[in-house]
Amino acid sequence: MNVRSQVSMVFHLDKCIGCHTCSIACKNLWTDRRGTEYMWWNNVETKPGTGFPTKWEDQEKYHGGWEVKNGKLQLKSTSKAQTIFNIYHNPSMPTMDDYYEPWTYDYQHLFNAPEGTDQPTARPISMVTGELIQIEAGPNWDDDLGGSPVYAENDPNLKGLTPDQRAQLVAVERLVFFYFPRICNHCLNPACVASCPSGALYKRGEDGIVLVDQKRCRGWRMCVAACPYKKMFYNWNTGKSEKCILCYPRLETGQAPACFHSCVGRIRYLGVMLYDASKIEEMASLPDEDLVEAQRSLVLDPNDPEVVAAARKSGIHESVIESAQRSPVYQFVKVWKIALPPHIEYRTMPMLFYVPPMSPVMSNVADGTIHHVSDNLFHDIDESRVPLKFLANLFGAGHEEFVRYALRKQKAVRWYRRAVTVGDVEMATAERMLREADCSPEQAEAIYRLTSLCTFDDRFVIPPMHREEAIQMMEDPLEHKQGVGFGFLSGPRRGM
Amino acid sequence: MSPQRRLLIAVLLALALPRFAAAQVANDFFQQNCSTCHTIGGGRLVGPDLKDAVQQKDREWLEHFIQDPEAVLNSGDPYALQLKKDANGIVMPKMPGVTPQMAEELLNMIEVQSKLPKSSLAGVTVSEQPFTANDVLTGREIFLGKHKLSQGGPPCVSCHTLGSIGGLGGGRLGPDLTLVYKRLGGRKSLGAWLTAPATPTMQSVFRNHSLQSAEILPLLAVFEDSSQQSQPANANSQIKFSLAGIAGALLGLAFMGWVWRGRIRTVRRALVSGAQRGAA
Repeated sequence: MNVRSQVSMVFHLDKCIGCHTCSIACKNLWTDRRGTEYMWWNNVETKPGTGFPTKWEDQEKYHGGWEVKNGKLQLKSTSKAQTIFNIYHNPSMPTMDDYYEPWTYDYQHLFNAPEGTDQPTARPISMVTGELIQIEAGPNWDDDLGGSPVYAENDPNLKGLTPDQRAQLVAVERLVFFYFPRICNHCLNPACVASCPSGALYKRGEDGIVLVDQKRCRGWRMCVAACPYKKMFYNWNTGKSEKCILCYPRLETGQAPACFHSCVGRIRYLGVMLYDASKIEEMASLPDEDLVEAQRSLVLDPNDPEVVAAARKSGIHESVIESAQRSPVYQFVKVWKIALPPHIEYRTMPMLFYVPPMSPVMSNVADGTIHHVSDNLFHDIDESRVPLKFLANLFGAGHEEFVRYALRKQKAVRWYRRAVTVGDVEMATAERMLREADCSPEQAEAIYRLTSLCTFDDRFVIPPMHREEAIQMMEDPLEHKQGVGFGFLSGPRRGM
Repeated sequence: MSPQRRLLIAVLLALALPRFAAAQVANDFFQQNCSTCHTIGGGRLVGPDLKDAVQQKDREWLEHFIQDPEAVLNSGDPYALQLKKDANGIVMPKMPGVTPQMAEELLNMIEVQSKLPKSSLAGVTVSEQPFTANDVLTGREIFLGKHKLSQGGPPCVSCHTLGSIGGLGGGRLGPDLTLVYKRLGGRKSLGAWLTAPATPTMQSVFRNHSLQSAEILPLLAVFEDSSQQSQPANANSQIKFSLAGIAGALLGLAFMGWVWRGRIRTVRRALVSGAQRGAA
């Protein structure tokens, strides 16, 4: 057992309102520079939709992630030999058009336009070429089902849905969508790190944050092609690749990352999980249907004395182990099993988990009255407006049972709380639902508290990063103690 | 030998030496610059045999002509025009380094050499035997550079082409040599030319890498053969060469297109245009 610690995340999609505050917080903090205009380390997509870059989930085109070939785990986009042949031209690179051409507006024209018969306008200008452009797409072009006949209907997750289910998704009176906020998953088996010919990408030992060493990066962009989530970006100004850094400067000072901190719907949870690094390759090579369970098995119980001992042996600090024991992410992922990894079939073992969203209750009209309760208490999960298959393609490698389990438990908790607070549901019915959903009343209470009443400190259990100790590895903090410096920057003066 | 005698000889030698040295300089100059077209007592090459030239025309005219042949020609001098006619219209170039002093020394030297029964500047003797097919073949190999020049000079084909080498022809930096055999007046003068090439480019290239007679003979053979058999390369072959280049480039691009056929060209634009086509 090789125990490591990983700062992990849960996004509770049932709470996301699609306000994009997270994206803006991130943009203002990190990617408001020349060369990064088009980057969205955090973005919020509408599902069904094709996302950013367009159709990033279609690995037939983008060749991201891993595949098992001859029993071995291999990158889809490249190999050692292919890296040499493709080093000056990577054939799996998204084009600028697949992201979008960043633009601003010619606001000056509003003030200095010559007098004319009409109002002056601020026309869009490309932030890459500086020329006037015709905007064809943006990073969130299909927000709230905008342009659905083109974008939503081509969502790769619609694979395997019957024509009826597809028609149902776009039928106006039953129209449904949900939001899918995305950041770097800081995977356990990161494809970007594996693909880098320069060895510039690395996964931080102490917290598992995946970073690009800006000094070693040579801009080959193999990572851009290899990352199946398309969360590696190339800065055309510096000629280096960049990615989400999980706001590690904030984490190191005990603050939640900017997108977590600013989240209006409080959908984001962050905490440490301990995992067994020695089993990653074995688990990532299993067949698709076993991957969700395999990843869960990598996550270790931080209360197990054996795990704690192994963690201590690996040099994990006592305070980090203690932080892992209080981690909300561990509860969602391992104890309650209602948070699922996105597209686990890419085999990168993402450490950002999603609680799948409930869809609106499907009502049926009979004899002129609307019925929305049937004898089957979970009827609207299997017949929800968002087909289970669609969610399964996103969160279960196409296998519905994990998503069904998570949704049933969420629904059971809702009914249980309804029985407790409103009382229009029989407690016996609610308890039966809990039993059927594999959930105890105590667990239901805990899920309810962490979902609805969570405070800042409940959501973000940030481990102490011990930078004061980490820095001692590189320099002696007492080196300059009592030493003589260069003098005062502005010397003291006598007199008035 | 008495000391007086010795002194006398030394003085005489010292007096004679500058004259002797000047003659040597003129001799070398002739060898390097004139022997391509002229001999002294060796018969006509491109230009006339200069034996007894000093007797045939007055010295002043000759000095003048040596220094700037073109100016004399342009003045309409009938004798100069006659010379041009005799040389198949080839005009003697104005050689750099022919100062009035050098011209005088050259004439002196020619006068001296003319009196000798066998001048050292009578030119090379090229065998008059007809060339064999084997000579032509060897010459062809030398021309194409398959057979390296013994003194390390570059092969002819890098700058010249020849109607008989076929393919895409040779280099186009220097003139087409298909008919050079006829143009320069046959075996003897072409052989002399090759011994000491006179044009500035050839001279600088071959100054330290002179052609050997064992190489000149086969080359003469191939030039003779080519002048009898082929036409000079025409503009057509240049067009062919360009077309072959373009075709090669296209083939290369097509090959790269095939190797990277699975590359991403566009995702979003294809998606949108596909949907628009579907809707239409």
